[in-house]
Amino acid sequence: MTPEIQDLLAALEAEGYIAEPATATAVFLAREMRKPLLIEGDAGVGKTELAKVLARLLATELIRLQCWEGLDVQTALYEWDYPRQLLRLRMSEGRGEDPRDVEARIFSRDYLLERPLLRAITRPDQAPVLLIDEVDRADDGFEAFLLELLSDFQVTIPELGTIQARHPPYVVLTSNRTRELGDALRRRCLYLYMEHPSLEKEVRIIRTHWPEAQERLAREVGRFLQALRARRLVKSPGVAETLDWTQALLTLRQDSLGPEVVTQTLGCLLKDRHDLETLTPSEVASLVTLAREESPR
Amino acid sequence: MRDVPLRLARFGRALRAQGVATTLRDELDAAEALAIVDRDDREEVRRTLRIALKVPPADFEAFDQLLGVFWHGELEVKPVAPRRPLETPAIPRGRALHWDPDTRRMASEPGTLPEGERPGYSPDALLRRKPFDQEWSGRDLVRMERLLARLARRLATRRSRRLVPTRGRGRADVRSSYRRALRTSGEMFSLARRTRAVDEPRLAFLLDTSGSMDTHSRFLLTFALSLRRAAPRAEVFAFNTELVHLTRSLAPGKVRLTLERLSVHVPDWSGGTRIGECLAGFHERYLSRRAGGKTVVVVLSDGLDRGDPALLADAVSRIQGRARKVIWLNPLLGDPRYEPAASGMAAALPFVDLFAPAHDLESLERLVPHFTGSPRNRIHSGGAAGGLGGVRRSTPPLKDAGWP
Repeated sequence: MTPEIQDLLAALEAEGYIAEPATATAVFLAREMRKPLLIEGDAGVGKTELAKVLARLLATELIRLQCWEGLDVQTALYEWDYPRQLLRLRMSEGRGEDPRDVEARIFSRDYLLERPLLRAITRPDQAPVLLIDEVDRADDGFEAFLLELLSDFQVTIPELGTIQARHPPYVVLTSNRTRELGDALRRRCLYLYMEHPSLEKEVRIIRTHWPEAQERLAREVGRFLQALRARRLVKSPGVAETLDWTQALLTLRQDSLGPEVVTQTLGCLLKDRHDLETLTPSEVASLVTLAREESPR
Repeated sequence: MRDVPLRLARFGRALRAQGVATTLRDELDAAEALAIVDRDDREEVRRTLRIALKVPPADFEAFDQLLGVFWHGELEVKPVAPRRPLETPAIPRGRALHWDPDTRRMASEPGTLPEGERPGYSPDALLRRKPFDQEWSGRDLVRMERLLARLARRLATRRSRRLVPTRGRGRADVRSSYRRALRTSGEMFSLARRTRAVDEPRLAFLLDTSGSMDTHSRFLLTFALSLRRAAPRAEVFAFNTELVHLTRSLAPGKVRLTLERLSVHVPDWSGGTRIGECLAGFHERYLSRRAGGKTVVVVLSDGLDRGDPALLADAVSRIQGRARKVIWLNPLLGDPRYEPAASGMAAALPFVDLFAPAHDLESLERLVPHFTGSPRNRIHSGGAAGGLGGVRRSTPPLKDAGWP
């Protein structure tokens, strides 16, 4: 393995992010090749978290754009500060200033409200991490716009002209695959598909996040989750759910899994009525037995 | 490792041959990436190539199998079982189908099927469903199209959360109002307004082409063809023992051409039904990948299933979880004596938002007023009881909760 990737794995872990080698490789390549990184995977596998950790690692600012269906230029890129412009206009009218000066002034950077995308390319000191979260939720038009931004890292504002990025940001895009992203966007990025962690990884994640959890509880939780994910579920629980559940078990002062406590706290893991209904108490019991099999009696 | 460019080129070609989309640009990315990683570590090369060539999870298996081509720099591509994409025309394995000009419907080769063996078929049943065996006049087709256009609009139109400028009512748009005021040196004479945009309907139709639906094939086809014209964005699938994506094989207005294509594309026309598997496949390959949560799914089937009812129930419930609405149109429901007792149908019912008959134009027409465009009006048969022939509903439709 490349030494830099090994270092990166260790650095990610020091920041509390237990990564698979593939994740570290992807981050390394994105950093070296200066290409956007598109991460896909089920909800709760740690896509957004990776961008946050990356910003901490690079000791830089994290700029986040949460995508949604109604996302438009004014919320993503920039907006003029109209009330201030109007006030300025009124003031200068009273003083009888030259209209051209007034115009130049009210359409200057001072009156421009930077939204995340513009902010990401105008940082003066160093390249920030730009997280474009859940890009699959935005519509196709926004995707096309992103494509343009990601290729040149420049933005044209009619009243001001073109703004070129001084330090192109590290871009991380995440998608939950609620719709297939356009091929053009995918091709422009490096692509990482994040899977649920392996048992060993998951136990380490639990232990890192909740050091008060004993090895035995962490292993049982890990095995239970692995067995649960093997079932056909409408919504498979992710790492976020694992950690919530562990916290719940710790709050209830449990040091081992029991059928009763699992049934009571199942709502931390399964968030779909259908999933909850199909998991009968006897099945919970057999999953618990499976999870406890290797634990010392 | 030597000859990276040559190996990459070969690997890319092998991947494309397996239907894994890679471009020259991806290969350039891969070359750049391989230059900075440890090329003697096979696992690392595998990870790097997956990332740089943008391989989606569905293609991981094919990718891994072909990796040997790259690693060993082999000339020969190892034979790998080709995947069958959703839209590849399959070789017909069922009975041959041809267009019978006398009866004007799809028919199997005469003599291949002993009379009485066709499931769900009896002359008696035929008489009751006469409308579909009669020739359809041009006027009828036009009527059908208009009706489906109305239906499609009603079924799948809803307000998006996107705001678009409007001259009518809506919420005040401060930004535009100020911008407008700049023109009149800051005097705000009128307010600009925005309202929620109207989403284009997204529909997916699943047509049952199994043997028990034979008598309705004419109706199904007319339905599918009219639909394609009325709602160009609707996706059409056919299923019997497997699922086929039909959208592109439907040529609007060219009935005969379409029929010819269909007989090639739909395997096992008039064969048995495995609704459960087909619907599960639809969910997995289409709905969860491409359609998102805005699609209205319409199933046109009699629910006579040869598979496991539990599987069907599971598939329909998953579809309901993803789709905005699931509508099941059942031609048999036109028969007053019919009860959805077939195990498949009974299993699927709890997860269906609307269960209604569709056996002739009138039944379709009666459907239109039931759709208000609001998300999820839960209307379906609660079981054996219900109106005869009409739309069955167990609970009154819920009012659209709407966004603030």
